[in-house]
Amino acid sequence: MYPEPLNDLIDLFEHLPEQERRENLIVMSDGAAKCGPKEGEPFDLEDVRKDEECTDTVGIFLRVDEGDRAHFAVSLGPKVQTLTKAMTSILCRGLNGAKLQEVLEVPADFVPRIIGAELVRLRSQTVYYVLSRMKTAVKMFMDRRRAAAAAAA
Amino acid sequence: MNPKFSAYANPDVLVDTEWLAAHLNDPNIRIVESNEDVLLYDTGHIPGAVHIDWRRDLNDQVVRDYVGTEEFAQLCRRNGITPDTTVIFYGDKSNWWSCYALWVFTLFGHKNMKLVDGGRAKWEAEGRPLTREVPKYPETQYPVPAERNDAAHRAYFQQTLEHMQAKKPLVDVRSPKEFSGEVTHMPEYPQEGVLRGGHIPTAKSCPWARAAAPDATFKTREELEGIYGGELGLKHGDDIIAYCRIGERSSHTWFVLKYLLGFPNVRNYDGSWTEWGNMVRSPIEKGA
Repeated sequence: MYPEPLNDLIDLFEHLPEQERRENLIVMSDGAAKCGPKEGEPFDLEDVRKDEECTDTVGIFLRVDEGDRAHFAVSLGPKVQTLTKAMTSILCRGLNGAKLQEVLEVPADFVPRIIGAELVRLRSQTVYYVLSRMKTAVKMFMDRRRAAAAAAA
Repeated sequence: MNPKFSAYANPDVLVDTEWLAAHLNDPNIRIVESNEDVLLYDTGHIPGAVHIDWRRDLNDQVVRDYVGTEEFAQLCRRNGITPDTTVIFYGDKSNWWSCYALWVFTLFGHKNMKLVDGGRAKWEAEGRPLTREVPKYPETQYPVPAERNDAAHRAYFQQTLEHMQAKKPLVDVRSPKEFSGEVTHMPEYPQEGVLRGGHIPTAKSCPWARAAAPDATFKTREELEGIYGGELGLKHGDDIIAYCRIGERSSHTWFVLKYLLGFPNVRNYDGSWTEWGNMVRSPIEKGA
């Protein structure tokens, strides 16, 4: 159902006591800065924008290898919430190397299992945002590839 | 005192970051961070600051209401606050949630409170220290307040309805598109829609952000007078109700009107648009 690395993270988080869960989310949040694209790193698709679902700009960078596996980098503006930063780290770890179709099929129901009931609240719904942007990037990539193949045929 | 503050109706309700930096070890104050971002405090906060979470600490967990007097007293006790402590609030989002926390403390009659002009953003922008060390303070004996004095500071649906019918001043502090009904949420929060978009009939639009400078500090008295007195036409003795979606942005405006401009009769309708826009038989208006 979930790519294995993501499944491992879900399993880790949902068994943590609340305080440890929070501490690990902070660690993940701290790691979000390392998820950004490296200087000169090539990508097959770059989607950088601020839209209505997030309080700051989020950039999704997708590279697809020959095995049709996705590799993501994510850039975050400074106003992005801490939980969203944490989820960025989790998703970069959990989805990198997953097949494109697997990324599209990842259900969002794991999010509350990671962040816990106490932190799922009105003003923390942007935790779903990065996953939806990653899926959008994959879909855009697949659509463009399909269009290019049709044009070439 | 910061020269800008002296022009406000109540200069003592604000401190600037420089003052706070010089008073971090003052035993008579308690610094309180209150944010929208639920984990922001944990990523680093002003040294000595405690965390008050708007939902966990201030809201009743069963009824849509604030905590009772006993819970409020417990909150103060465990954060080392006495009735004589000056509570210094700051937070993210231009102090939305710290204004909200200060407003809730007002309901319980806590006397000594101040807001950090510019909030967390200004403290960070100035490169001032943050720590992840969570302070521990000896538990105090904060007495249970006799009552929660909602009447002077808080408006409920029925009161707001009567206010509207009496054509008394209503200030809608949401974004222009929320006011017109084009969207049923603020721009970054599409998941928070209500059944109907629009505004309370007779309300005037004045987005909260008009009171804030780009660095999250409050605008000058003269600028605020121009907006609320000049453009909105609010007069000193007016009975004013401010609202937004859930009462946090309108807490910011409530603070501006009550303390910076000195309007004596200002209430925050915290039910706001999530209540009004969903309430059966409540009238709405659409358009700018």
